[in-house]
Amino acid sequence: MSAPAGDPDASPVRVLVADDDADIRDLVEFKLTQAGYAVEAVPDGISAWEAFAANPPQLAVLDVMMPGLSGIDVLRKIRESEFSSVPVLLLSAKSRDSDVDTGFAVGADDYVIKPFSPRELLHRVNGMLARAR
Amino acid sequence: MSWDGFVEGLRSFVVWSMDATAVPIIIYFILINTSLLLLIVLAYLEFRAQQRRRSTAVSWQGAGLAPGVSLLVPAYNEEAGIVMAVKSFLTLRYPRHEVVVVDDGSSDQTFARLAEAFDLVQVPRELPHEIPVRATVLGIYVPRDGRTRLVVVRKENSGRSEAINVAINAASEPLVAMIDGDSILEPDGLLHVTRPFADDPTRMVATGGAIRPVNGSRVVSGRIVRVEMPQTWLPRIQLVEYLRAFLLGRTGWSRLGGLILISGAFGLFRRDVVVEVGGLDPDSIGEDFELVMRIHKRLRDEGRDYAIEFVPEPVSWTEVPVTAKVLRNQRRRWHRGLWETLWAYRTMLFRRKYGRVGWLALPYYWLFELIAPLLELFGILIVPLALALGVVNVPYAILFLVLAYGYAVLVTLSAMVVDEWAFHKHDRWRAVWQTIAASVLENIGYRQATVWWRLEGWWSSLRGKKHVWGVMTRTGFDEDAA
Amino acid sequence: MIVGAALLVGATVVILGACVLLIIAVVAVRARRHSRNQRDEMLLSPLRQPLITVAAGEDDDGTAAEELTWATGVSRTVLDRNIAEMLTKVRGVPAEQLVHVLEVHGAVDAAVDDLTSRSTVKRARAAQLLGLARAERTVPLLVEALGDESVEVRNSAAYALGLIGDPVAAGPVLAAIGAPERGLPAATAAEALQSMGVGISGVLRDGMADPNARTRMVAAHLSGERSFTRGLPELRRLLDFDPDLTVRETSAVAIGRLGRGEDVGILVSHTASSEPLALRRACVVALGELGETEAIPALVLLLGDADPRLAELAATALLTMGPDGRHALAGHDDEPAVRTARLLASLQKASA
Repeated sequence: MSAPAGDPDASPVRVLVADDDADIRDLVEFKLTQAGYAVEAVPDGISAWEAFAANPPQLAVLDVMMPGLSGIDVLRKIRESEFSSVPVLLLSAKSRDSDVDTGFAVGADDYVIKPFSPRELLHRVNGMLARAR
Repeated sequence: MSWDGFVEGLRSFVVWSMDATAVPIIIYFILINTSLLLLIVLAYLEFRAQQRRRSTAVSWQGAGLAPGVSLLVPAYNEEAGIVMAVKSFLTLRYPRHEVVVVDDGSSDQTFARLAEAFDLVQVPRELPHEIPVRATVLGIYVPRDGRTRLVVVRKENSGRSEAINVAINAASEPLVAMIDGDSILEPDGLLHVTRPFADDPTRMVATGGAIRPVNGSRVVSGRIVRVEMPQTWLPRIQLVEYLRAFLLGRTGWSRLGGLILISGAFGLFRRDVVVEVGGLDPDSIGEDFELVMRIHKRLRDEGRDYAIEFVPEPVSWTEVPVTAKVLRNQRRRWHRGLWETLWAYRTMLFRRKYGRVGWLALPYYWLFELIAPLLELFGILIVPLALALGVVNVPYAILFLVLAYGYAVLVTLSAMVVDEWAFHKHDRWRAVWQTIAASVLENIGYRQATVWWRLEGWWSSLRGKKHVWGVMTRTGFDEDAA
Repeated sequence: MIVGAALLVGATVVILGACVLLIIAVVAVRARRHSRNQRDEMLLSPLRQPLITVAAGEDDDGTAAEELTWATGVSRTVLDRNIAEMLTKVRGVPAEQLVHVLEVHGAVDAAVDDLTSRSTVKRARAAQLLGLARAERTVPLLVEALGDESVEVRNSAAYALGLIGDPVAAGPVLAAIGAPERGLPAATAAEALQSMGVGISGVLRDGMADPNARTRMVAAHLSGERSFTRGLPELRRLLDFDPDLTVRETSAVAIGRLGRGEDVGILVSHTASSEPLALRRACVVALGELGETEAIPALVLLLGDADPRLAELAATALLTMGPDGRHALAGHDDEPAVRTARLLASLQKASA
C-alpha cells in the first residue's frame, strides 16, 4: 500500500477515526495504520469532538450514525471551531443520499458509503490529504 | 354535643362509610390491578416482538418510502436555547425534513438570535389558511443561503396551540411533528417514528415516540451524550413515572389498537389529516390528547381504515419539573386537560362504531386515570381516620397499605425489566438501585401529593368551566415557558 | 372489613414476592448481557486480528482467511455471526473472502436448514445470512420465506432478496406486501425492489393493478424512482381513478418524473379546485418537474389561486421553465406568491 505523501522523516500524519461500530473502527484503524498514518480511534461523537479539540488531527474520518453526537454534529462543531479547515470524510450508511447532502451542506470534504471497500477508503484519504497540502 | 359523642358519631360514620364503600373499592382495586396486569402482559408481548425485531433488524435508512417531515417548533421566549435546538433539529438523520419555527410573539431576543444565526431574509409569502388562526402573522423568514430548510414565522402571541396551527399552515411536507423547542431528539429518532408510515403508507395517520426525562444527563450541542440519573429525587420519581407510562401504558394500548394519547412532546401526524380535523384546538388544555381523540372520532365516523401507532424507542428527551411548584402546575393542567377531553368525547363511550377506543381505551381512562385520584384520596383519608378511631387494627392497616402500594411498585418494576431488556439506556448499576428506590419512594408523599394536585385541576375545571377558558389556557402557556 | 385477613396477607406476600423476583430479573438481564458479551469477546479475541486483516483487504497471501476457516465449536458460531455483521460493512474482495470462510464453515448450508427452524430469530438471521453471502441458489427458499408467519422473517427474506438482487424475486416481493394478515412492510419491500435490475418493470406494471393500496403505492413509487416509462399508462390510470389519495399523489409525483408532453393534460386536470388540495399541489409540482411549456397557461391561471401555497408552487414551476415560463410571470409581479418564488430562486442562485 502506498505510504502517505510527504517528508519521510517527518512525524506521521495524524488521523482521527470515530465510529461506534467496533468492527469498522478497528478495520479503518488497521488499514490506515498499515498505510503509515498515526490513527486515533474513538467510539462516539463526544469523544471524537474532545479528541479533536485536545489535539486537532490532519484529517478526520467520522461515521454519520453514532449515538449522542452524530458524525454530522461533530462535523458541524469542527467547522465552527478554529481548526475548521481540517478535511473530514464521512462514513455513511448505504443509499442515504440525504446524509451525503446534509454532510456536504455542513462542510464534509468527501464521503464513503457503507458497505465500503477499505481500499477505496484509503485512496480517498490519500487524495484528500494531497489536496489539502 | 360532647367530645365523646362527636368521636362516637365519627366512628360510626367511618364504620358506615367503610362498609358502604368496601365492596366497590375492592372491585375497583381488583379491576385496576387486573387491567394493569393485562397491560403488562400486552407490553411484555409487544416487547418480545420488539426484541425479536431488534435482534433481527436490518438497517433501514429511510430510502424511498420515507415521507418528508416538517418539524414544528413553537417558541415563546426561548432566546437561550433556540439556535442550538434548531441546529440540532436541522441535522437530524433523515432524508427529507424541514424545520418550521413559530415565534409566538416572544418579548425577548428569540427572533433576533435566529435571524443572526441563520442570516434570515423576509419573504413576501402568504401562508395557506387551511387551519383557521386568529392571531396575525407578522412575517415569514428563510435563511439567505436558500438551501437550509428552515422557515421562521413571527406572529402575535396567542399560545402554543395557535403557534402550532400556524406552523402546520406553513409546513410543506406530508408529515408534521410537533416538538417543543427545549426537547432533545435522538439523531435517528425521526427514522424510528416515521418507520410505521413507510411500512403502512396508506393507513398510518399518527405515531408517537417515547419520551424520557433528560435531567442529569450530559447534553452537548443539543444531543444527549451520556445518559445519567437526575440529581434529585423529584425528577428521579418522574423518570419512573415516564418509564411506566410509556413503556407499559402506551405500548400496551398500541398493541390493543386503542392508543388515544400521543404526547405533545413528540407526536408525528399526517398533515392532511390534521388539517382535515381542523388542527389543534386553541381553547383546549389537553390539546394533544384532544387532537388524537378528534382524529379517532372523525376517521371512525367516516368508517375509514387507519392506524395510530406507538414507537417504544426513546426518541425525545425533555426537562421535567424539579420543584414541587412547577410539578403541581403541570399535574393540575394535565388532569384538567384529561377531564375536559374525556367529557367532550363522552359520546364515544360504548358505541359500536368507535370499536376499541370506545369500549376499552376510553372507559379505562375514565375509570383509572380520571377517577383514580378521587378514590385514592378517599383511601388516604379513611385509613388513618379508621386507625385513629380504632375501627381497624394497626397490622391490618399496614397490610392494606403494603398491598396497595406494593402493587404500584410491582408495575414499575415490570416496566424496568422490559426497559432493561429492550433498551438498556443506563450503563451504571447505581442507576438501577436508584430507580428501584424511586419506585418505592414514589409511594411515600409523592403519590399523595399528585393525587391532590390532580384533583385540584379537575375541581378548577368543574368550578370555573364557563368563564375561565381563555385565561386558563394562557396561564398554561406561561407555565410552559417558565 | 369484608376482606379476610388471611387473604390480605396472602396477596401481600404474593406481591412482595413478585417485586423481589422482578428485581432479580433486572439484575439477571444485566448480568447475562455482560457475561455473554464477555464470553463472545473472549472466544473471538484470537480470531479478531485475522478477521480485521481480511476485512481490511490486507490479507494478501490468504493466511489470515485460512486461519479463520480453522475455527470450531462455539467460537465458530460466534465468528460466523461476526462475519455476517462484517458483510454489512465491507464490500469488494474482502467480502468475497469472508463469504468463502462462511462456506468452508458450512454456515450457508446451516442457514438453509435454519430457515425452517422453530425459532423466529433463527429463521430471520438465516435469511439475512443467505442474502449477505449472496447465495443465489437459495432465492426460491427466500421467496418462500416471504410468506413466513413472522414479520421479522418476512422482512429478513425481502432484505436478503434485495441483496442478491435477482429480479426473479420482484413479483413475489411485491405480492407479499398485500398478503392478508401476513403483509410485508412496504418500506422493506421498496428497498429490496430498488436493488433489483431493470427486469422488474413488468412486475411493477402488474403491481399497479393490485387490489391492495399499499402494493399499488409501492409499485407506482418505484416506477417513478426507477424511471420505468412503460408504466406510464398505469400511472395515469391510478392518478385518474384510484380510490386512495396517497396512491394518487404518488402517481402524480411519478408522472412528473418520467412523463411526456402528453401528460400535461392529465396533471392539469387534477389541479382543478374540486380536487383534494394535497393532490393539486402534487400535480403542480409534477408539472414543474415535467418542464413542458404546454403547462404554462394552466400554471399562470393557478397564480391567483385561493391557496397561497399552490400559487407559489405554480410560480416556482414557471420559473424553472426557461424564458417562456419567466415571461408568463410578467403580468403578475404584484402577487406575493410570484415575489416569494422569485426571491427564493434568486437566493438559491446566489449561493450556488
